[in-house]
Amino acid sequence: MKTIEGLVQKIKPWLPKSHSARTAWVGALATTVTLLLLARLVPLDGRPHADWEQFLGRFHPLVVHLPIGLLMLVPVLEIAGKFRPGLKQAVGFVLGLALGACALALALGFLLAHGGGEAGPGVTRHLWSATALTIAVLLCVLARPWQSQGHVPFAYPALLTCALLVLFYTAHQGGALTHGSNYLTQYMPASLKRLSTLGAKAPPATSFYARHINPILDAKCAACHGESSVKGGLLMDSFESLMKGGQDGPVIIAGHPEQSLLLQRVMLPPDHKQFMPAEGKPPLKPEEISWIREWIQQGASPTATALAGISIREERETQPIEPVGDYGALMNEIRQLAQGQGAKLVPVSSKPQDGLILYTVDVSSNFGDAQLTQFQKFAPYIVEAELGRTAVTNASFDTLKLFTHLRALHLEETQVTGDGLAKLSSLSQLTYLNLSGTQVTAAALAPLSSMKNLRSVYLYNTPAQPAPLVGQAQPLTRNTP
Amino acid sequence: MKQHPLCTDTEQAPSALHPAVPTEMQREWATLNTRRHFLGRTGKVLGWAALASLLGDRGMRGDAYKAGGKDGSGPRDAESLKLPHFAPRAKRAIYLFMSGGPSQVDLLDYKPNLAALYDKDIPDSVRGAQQLTGMTSGQARFPIAPSHWSFKRYGETGTWVSDLLPFTGRIVDDLAIIKSTNTDAINHEPAIMLMNTGNMNAGKPCLGSWLAYGLGSMNDNLPTFMVLQSKLNTKENNQPVSSRLWSSGFLSSEYAGVGLRSTGDPVLYLTDPNGVDREVRRKMLDAVNEINRQTYEELGDPETNARIAQYEMAYRMQTSVPELADLSKEPNSTWDLYGPEAKEPGTFAYNCLMARRLAERGVRFTQVYKRGWDMHDNVTGILPIICGETDRGCYALVTDLKRRGMLDDTLVVWAGEFGRTVYSQGGLSPENYGRDHHPRCYTTWMAGGGVRTGITYGETDDYSYNVVKDPVTVRDFNATILHCLGMDHNRLTYKFQGLEQKLTGPTPASVVQGLLA
Repeated sequence: MKTIEGLVQKIKPWLPKSHSARTAWVGALATTVTLLLLARLVPLDGRPHADWEQFLGRFHPLVVHLPIGLLMLVPVLEIAGKFRPGLKQAVGFVLGLALGACALALALGFLLAHGGGEAGPGVTRHLWSATALTIAVLLCVLARPWQSQGHVPFAYPALLTCALLVLFYTAHQGGALTHGSNYLTQYMPASLKRLSTLGAKAPPATSFYARHINPILDAKCAACHGESSVKGGLLMDSFESLMKGGQDGPVIIAGHPEQSLLLQRVMLPPDHKQFMPAEGKPPLKPEEISWIREWIQQGASPTATALAGISIREERETQPIEPVGDYGALMNEIRQLAQGQGAKLVPVSSKPQDGLILYTVDVSSNFGDAQLTQFQKFAPYIVEAELGRTAVTNASFDTLKLFTHLRALHLEETQVTGDGLAKLSSLSQLTYLNLSGTQVTAAALAPLSSMKNLRSVYLYNTPAQPAPLVGQAQPLTRNTP
Repeated sequence: MKQHPLCTDTEQAPSALHPAVPTEMQREWATLNTRRHFLGRTGKVLGWAALASLLGDRGMRGDAYKAGGKDGSGPRDAESLKLPHFAPRAKRAIYLFMSGGPSQVDLLDYKPNLAALYDKDIPDSVRGAQQLTGMTSGQARFPIAPSHWSFKRYGETGTWVSDLLPFTGRIVDDLAIIKSTNTDAINHEPAIMLMNTGNMNAGKPCLGSWLAYGLGSMNDNLPTFMVLQSKLNTKENNQPVSSRLWSSGFLSSEYAGVGLRSTGDPVLYLTDPNGVDREVRRKMLDAVNEINRQTYEELGDPETNARIAQYEMAYRMQTSVPELADLSKEPNSTWDLYGPEAKEPGTFAYNCLMARRLAERGVRFTQVYKRGWDMHDNVTGILPIICGETDRGCYALVTDLKRRGMLDDTLVVWAGEFGRTVYSQGGLSPENYGRDHHPRCYTTWMAGGGVRTGITYGETDDYSYNVVKDPVTVRDFNATILHCLGMDHNRLTYKFQGLEQKLTGPTPASVVQGLLA
């Protein structure tokens, strides 16, 4: 008993003194408890409830932007208030409005989720963070007067910062629910993407499902059938859960697109009640539907890498091209070369940073390793070297490795055998290597596998054929109808 | 020539409006050229000369003075022209020109629904108020002639291709098929001029000349722009193609296409006659060039320099062309790919092989002409023949370039000057029909450097009559080709007759972004 009394004595200076303040605190405490219990008392069970809940709930997307705007205004006013004191007086009012808007948005959001039968970790996260936000704003309202009274001056700024952080998190969760979790990152430039994943790169997907079907479902369906929200008990974020189906049974029947519920629903007329994606979300494109149909038709396999009759152009991650430096000082020599009958350096374009191309076609058989070394001084500016049908040999690699900006190298029909190709592995910009008609062997090509920007290696008419490396050089295949 | 007794310069009888002037009177008039005449005319001439110098070189003469190689040094340098405008995706192009107008309905524009409409009249709403050619405008009715051939799907893209083109079917995944090409001209000559030079009237430089002008040469020993004509098949209706189509127009004649003949010597009179060796030839050329140089200094006509450059080119071609035409070193895989026909000079397959060899040797632009696609009647008789002649060559060329790693920087274009009507010209029977010229839609394709692969661009209506989606005009088509080769069609201009002339003409054109990789 004594200890409790002691405790009360200790916190006495902290407790509100006036009657009204005490009432406010009690009210706040009660609200907090109610909010925290709300989800326990009325759980989101994933089943739709009364229509009026949904009717009101659908105003959530409208109302939800009010607290965001109002709350963002608070720190602005606080800071601007340092210079124009009049603004500071408005903060209390705006904060109060924000609290009201928060509460209203929370209530409507809850009605939307409960009424519409939303469930899933995403909805739960959104709900809990919104609850936390409302409580944080409430505390802000209460703590703000302390600042002027001189108690715990840091409490209010700290609380406000917390509230804003929670606001960002909540808003992002809400966005992910409506637009899908990859909405923000889908069109992010490749360079940024690389940064944002910071090397934690998953191995590139190879199956048709992973490359083409899953991304469609992710973009168009996951908002309601993803881990964040599982409407109709259907989860589409993985192959297994997709095949399991939802409340109405499986949605995909391998080999029978016309019986597959998923396809039926996306192909209804857009104004049909059961049309998917529902609620005015962007519908699937005709080609996406046709890919899904073909995929189901051909067995809905999670591992098949290609489907007969379907080819989809893929965005290749393009390596940013490194501009070459200024070769203006060498321009006179380049002009002299152009006048002569020998090898020439030709600008790729009128922009100097695009670099130079080394052409040898006029002198082919008289152009050997010795002649190549004369181009060393131009080395960093040459982006493409056409040495096909010249007399260069493996010794040329010693010179070529200095061509730091080389992107394409033509060595077709030369005496090159591939010994020492490893010397080229420092050419980080090299994407194209043509060794057709040479005596290179598969073994000599091994060092190239470490060059990750090297996309096309041509080995036509060499002992190393068929190409052990990437796609382009592979023979054509024909699919009969 | 019969001379009229009264007259010195005409064989026509005298008329009251144009009286013939007797010689005596003319002499008298000449003696009347007095000091007054002389002073009057001299004043005018001086005035013009002053004006010309005020306006500067370009004011009167356009770009010709600047562009014709200075001091006889040969081709203009890209540096001073600021060309190409941006880094090109393709360094060179091969244009397979299907002269006569291939029938899109029978080849690549698959319209399965037409079969049910056999011999039904094409709805007026589809034809609209179109003016037809004189060949069918008198027809009482326009019965639909569905394609005689069935279509199959090919490649990973599942593209529909006629049974007439089984080889083309194998490369559909590498092609960008354009179903919505359309032109303004309805007859061969204007249409083929429009495709090649951007203008229906003769006199403008053709695409190849613009490319040669803009890109310059990669190989000093061969022309920048070459034209290969395929042998005629007399069973086909061969519309004429003329050197107007590879003319350099107002650009220096160095940029004109150089044709290789389909039979005999590829270039006439290129070999030295008996008793003349290379040294003698060299001396002769040096002397001729010296005389030409004096002429240039005297008159300043840039064409003189072009002539010097052409003599020198011909001299170098004396060694480069025999090497080019020597196919003995081609590996067996070449013949497996192009087929035995390719061994016979002048066939389309041979020309495709030559086009690849020219591309290897740094020729910027090679145009292969195949005539005979003009089928006003007997489509079922002639179309299989001409498809048989061309199909394998197209496939072999694209495949060969691809396996040799050349398709990355070579643009291949397949096009005619227009398409053919879905309705039959003349009698329609289940076995045979004819097709008239059709400018509103036709199918072309591109492959290689800078072009998206495995796509079909544009759509036509159910009758393959009107374009319903993504139309590609001839201007857009040419602008796109220029774009792939690093040039902006709006900036590749040449001042002539007071206008900034360009390939796509004054009507706005746009690069077809959907075709670009």
